[in-house]
Amino acid sequence: MSTTESATAPAEPALRRLTTARAMAEGIAQEMERDTGIVVLGEDVAKYGGIFGSTTGLLDKFGPQRVIDTPISETAFIGLGVGAAVEGMRPVVELMFADFFGVAMDQIYNHMAKIHFESGGNVRVPMVLMTAAGGGYSDAEQHSQCLWGTFAHLPGMKVVVPSNPADAKGLMISAIRDDNPVVYMFHKGVMGLPWMAKNARSIAPVPEEPYETPIGKAAVAREGGDATVVTVSLSVHHALDVAEQMSAEHGVELEVIDLRSLVPLDREAVLTSVAKTGRLLVVDEDYQSFGLSGEIAATVAETDPGMLRAPVRRVAVPDVPIPYARSLESAVLPTRERIKAAARELVGA
Amino acid sequence: MADVRFPELSKEEPDAEGVLATWFVSDGDQVAGGQLLGEVMVDKASGDVLAPAAGRVRLLVAEEQVARQGTVIATVE
Repeated sequence: MSTTESATAPAEPALRRLTTARAMAEGIAQEMERDTGIVVLGEDVAKYGGIFGSTTGLLDKFGPQRVIDTPISETAFIGLGVGAAVEGMRPVVELMFADFFGVAMDQIYNHMAKIHFESGGNVRVPMVLMTAAGGGYSDAEQHSQCLWGTFAHLPGMKVVVPSNPADAKGLMISAIRDDNPVVYMFHKGVMGLPWMAKNARSIAPVPEEPYETPIGKAAVAREGGDATVVTVSLSVHHALDVAEQMSAEHGVELEVIDLRSLVPLDREAVLTSVAKTGRLLVVDEDYQSFGLSGEIAATVAETDPGMLRAPVRRVAVPDVPIPYARSLESAVLPTRERIKAAARELVGA
Repeated sequence: MADVRFPELSKEEPDAEGVLATWFVSDGDQVAGGQLLGEVMVDKASGDVLAPAAGRVRLLVAEEQVARQGTVIATVE
């Protein structure tokens, strides 16, 4: 800001910026102040503040009765969360890595997701299961998966995947207030953690008051008329970077759709954009087959394949476990290079 | 004018050096007392930098720059 501008500008503090991790923790804290039925439990959520910072500061504010470190037994503490939710509380349960869902899948899929249906709609499970996803930092095959397609595939759970601080806070508040089980998946690369790779888009202005970001509503992260890039989470950041490069280098304008939620899926937003551009690229850090990218392509094909002026392209993780070696890992992830190559083929640039 | 110092994250090693990881405000911003200004890191421990008073902030250390604990990294005028 120049001195001339500052002389005339009102003396209000600038809208403060937060990391995605801090925005999540703030959303949880504001809801906990409002509703004493909200508790947080999981491995290292209390004293440590969440290994990715999602619960930092909550123990100091709300004490050990409401912010609870659990033993390393995902089945036990996710089951505890399901029971608490059925009894009317609103637990926020952290599964440290999405990759660990396997040991607790019966609690997640057969109980958390199904009780509402089994009871003929008489019992609600207003629970948030939040979990860290994604790779890109050499943590190998058991700590790098996205797996949101797996949770989205199984009926009964809403699935939200924020890409930035403002949405992270708003979707957390919406998830807590929702009467259905919500799986809240945050990519480690969007959290703005000082010890991870620097990511400028993971630190951004966040309103101070509580607010909801609607679940099931995509956002147009960037407008453009030449091709549609449908994506989610960290890949939104990469797609925006590529869109800026393509605009500068080739005069091609990509429209970037940030889905934000997989369940419910905002198919309308996809169709509206593809109807405009006629070209679709889906970028997904989850495995390619039987997942999100195929679902998006099917959405267009089932509605009106005639809106496509070129075959659909996908940039996803080929169907192999995530490698440990940095060179091999970057070969399978949807990097900017892979996204750009696919986008150039799609538009013939 | 109030000095903003790099917080003491390592008690055992008062001279420890750390990194200015993130500024949440820009140089010249108007800030409120107690507002979160930045985040610093010593080894893998991170800590918050808060505004000691309300005023206009001047950032003296860039992001990614190394600084010793206790040094002045910003001022609030």
